[in-house]
Amino acid sequence: MSKISLIIVCLGLIPAVLAQKQKSQINGSARTYIFSNNLDIDDDIDTITTRKANYGHSLLDFGVSAFPNKNTEIIGMFRIRNELGGFWGGGVSFNVRQLTLKGVAGDIVRYELGDIDIKQTPYTVWNFGEEGNINEADIFASRRQVVHYDMFYNDSSNAWRMQGAQAKFGLNFNKGIKAINFHGFMTRQKTTDGLTTPERMFGGGKIGIEASENLSILFNSANIFDLTETIADSLQFKNSVHTASLEYKNDLKDSLEFGFNSEMGLSSTNYINYQDTRAPESLSDWFIDANIYTNLKNKGVIVKLGYKDVGADFRSPSAQTKRIDYSKFPRVYKQFTNNSLGRVLSYADFISGNTDNSFKISEELLPYYAAYNNTNPYGAATPNRRGIYLNLARKDSIGFKTSFIKVAGLTESVGTGTLQKKIFLLTEAGTDLYLNDLFKWNRLLKLDLGMRYENTTRTGKEYENIQLASTFIDLGLSWEIAEKLDILAGAKLWSVSGNAFINERNLFNSIDDFDIVDLNFTENVLAAGLQYRFSEKNIFSLHYQQFNINHADDAVIDYGMSQFTILYNLFF
Amino acid sequence: MKQTLSILAIGMVLFTGCRKNEPETFYGPDLNDLFGPFSIVQNITVSHNPINFALDGNLSFNGELSKNTDWVITITGANSGAIRNITGSERILSSANATWNGGANSYPAFSIEDVYIEITFPNEEGSPVLYDTVAITGEKIDDGVLITGFENGAGSNWVVFNQTTVTGEIVCGNGESAKGTCHYSVEGVVGWDWAKGSVSIQPDAGTFPLQSSPNNLFFNMALKPVESVGPTSSFIQIWFDEDENDDGIFDPNTEDRYIYEYWTTDTIWELVSVEYASLTQDENGDPLVTNGNGLPEPSKLLSVNLFFLSDPNNGNAKALFDHIIFTSNGPYNP
Repeated sequence: MSKISLIIVCLGLIPAVLAQKQKSQINGSARTYIFSNNLDIDDDIDTITTRKANYGHSLLDFGVSAFPNKNTEIIGMFRIRNELGGFWGGGVSFNVRQLTLKGVAGDIVRYELGDIDIKQTPYTVWNFGEEGNINEADIFASRRQVVHYDMFYNDSSNAWRMQGAQAKFGLNFNKGIKAINFHGFMTRQKTTDGLTTPERMFGGGKIGIEASENLSILFNSANIFDLTETIADSLQFKNSVHTASLEYKNDLKDSLEFGFNSEMGLSSTNYINYQDTRAPESLSDWFIDANIYTNLKNKGVIVKLGYKDVGADFRSPSAQTKRIDYSKFPRVYKQFTNNSLGRVLSYADFISGNTDNSFKISEELLPYYAAYNNTNPYGAATPNRRGIYLNLARKDSIGFKTSFIKVAGLTESVGTGTLQKKIFLLTEAGTDLYLNDLFKWNRLLKLDLGMRYENTTRTGKEYENIQLASTFIDLGLSWEIAEKLDILAGAKLWSVSGNAFINERNLFNSIDDFDIVDLNFTENVLAAGLQYRFSEKNIFSLHYQQFNINHADDAVIDYGMSQFTILYNLFF
Repeated sequence: MKQTLSILAIGMVLFTGCRKNEPETFYGPDLNDLFGPFSIVQNITVSHNPINFALDGNLSFNGELSKNTDWVITITGANSGAIRNITGSERILSSANATWNGGANSYPAFSIEDVYIEITFPNEEGSPVLYDTVAITGEKIDDGVLITGFENGAGSNWVVFNQTTVTGEIVCGNGESAKGTCHYSVEGVVGWDWAKGSVSIQPDAGTFPLQSSPNNLFFNMALKPVESVGPTSSFIQIWFDEDENDDGIFDPNTEDRYIYEYWTTDTIWELVSVEYASLTQDENGDPLVTNGNGLPEPSKLLSVNLFFLSDPNNGNAKALFDHIIFTSNGPYNP
């Protein structure tokens, strides 16, 4: 059923439901977001680009949840968006943002139809986060949240928003195992053009077995496949990922918990009847990720030690799709300088939402930027990585909320361009420091501290050598200076030096070439602003942000951007 | 539970151990090829010197480089000026990728002579240029039916026509032949007519020993326009006369004569090649009208007439013919 048809059905149902005095609920959000940008670039190299760029929008997401009966919910959400400066209908768009029908069949099976969120594990279906966010400041988080909301990125669930159907049900047992939970889904990823592009589906499911209080086992399956009869050719792309995970935990003492987590699985990728000789007919590989942990309950400290090995040909598109497409130019100041050079994405563009973001899974491994992330650019499921990791986390000590340190030492499992393998050392740490707790103040005074250090090396002959160091510091300040009125400040400071060999892959993910770049720059984003909280769901804020990038190489363009934003956000 | 965990742990270790260590494998192009230093690991040598292609077969080059990179082998005939290029990009040069069968890129062809060999590496700045000399003591054997290379003079049944002011004859030993030492030359000023001269080549007895099917049978000849050259200035006609009734005589009123026309373009030796089956059509693809059965029958080919024509207003006209040969499955490779 097309969306339009479903809209009509939903619109028809709403008054009927209301007339029957059944429950209904209105929800949604409203937002006004205004930007004033200024490009700071040397006049000697750019006399063309207009320095000012002002734009903005207001929008209303109007959602209705209707409950025709106690087991059914219909959710419809419409978006009305008006671009800044558009009036009398100019610049206005009207879209359906969400249409979902969900309920419980026979008090057993929970089902959802329409727009649904799918998530499994980091190796099967997982919408992993973008780079440059290590315990970031509230001033950045509030703006990132806008982008995530628009793109249906849910950081707490890492789910992908898709169109299709899913169903879940569980069986509980009195003896032996405790329960078995089932989940199945089927979605449509791509529509056919009737000529060369077949219809693409994505389906799978998981079976979770709770063997006991201490032991659970989960089987996952995620499968992409083309429907061959939707075009004249017999082209077919198929990818299947099947994994099994095991979780075991046990209290060795009242204050000491021991646990073991693991996931292992296989992927199989097929390009059937492709004319392109670069297309591998069949590609398969496997991965394993296993760790043990202890939880010192009385100290709130969790220590996790793990090992992972992800094969070079392991392909799991629904877990390896990047949120940001680095091959695309930013939406503001796309080109600059008198030579009309394309401007490379900067971190300021991430925050402002001026990037091209993925809204569906990609069978291609999207390009990445080695300066921001070289160790795991495709999330946990990044192929061709093996090594160990150590995570330490501490919760809620006095003055500190969750603190963490993560260290990973990985290598390539297969060399790229040489038998020598890249070695990655990644360290991430962060904490929230609540000064008001330390000094027993009533009003919030919080420091957000985050740090990421990444070192990539490859030894060998001169032309094989890689030495790339990337340091990222994420700082934030939130200070409630008056009732519900906050001063916010933040900084994101990148310092990168060295060289990188970035894999250039073709559309079948084979490495065709290497982009060999020298990366020596500092990139800073500084921001400050005021925020007034009418409520936790209704916030008005003024932000000023200054971005600069400076390269050691004079041949690379240094520039900056300042940005003033007004953001009013209301969720209801 | 301990047992379960133990089994799982052992299984996991075994699973992990299953990962193949593939020390000789990497993904993507070889960095050594892209950026590695260039050197000649093993000197490049030739398999034969001197070489008799008829007896020894192909000449191969053997050697090893430090990386996969483009290489070009240029072979130049000391007397003929014939040139042959062999290119590749593999690290190892061997009979699999660097062989020479004695042929040239185009006319002129190599003869019994010394050849100069030059090996270069165009993508490697500062790389050495390698030189060698090889003596050819025997030419390659051509696949095909040789009609004539004009090396043995005119046949008993040949018919020569020349305008009174034109000289048409076999010329030997002046070093201008496309292959061997002799060729046929037509030269003269004919101010009143396009026709200059012709030579009708006919076997001493019977017809030429050709296959019966016209498909995949190619007529080839070497042509060198020398004067009055250009696509509106001069051309040759090649007449293919078939003796359909096997009486040893061609009758133009009752038997097929296919005429192929070729306009000159340049003053170098060039290969003129045409598939026999395509003789039934003119250059526009329209069917030619003949007086016989209309079927191209190479096994009944009685004579091949090479006819040189030139614009009478252009003054002196000259063209050279050489090495007329029929080949199967493709044009002749000099």
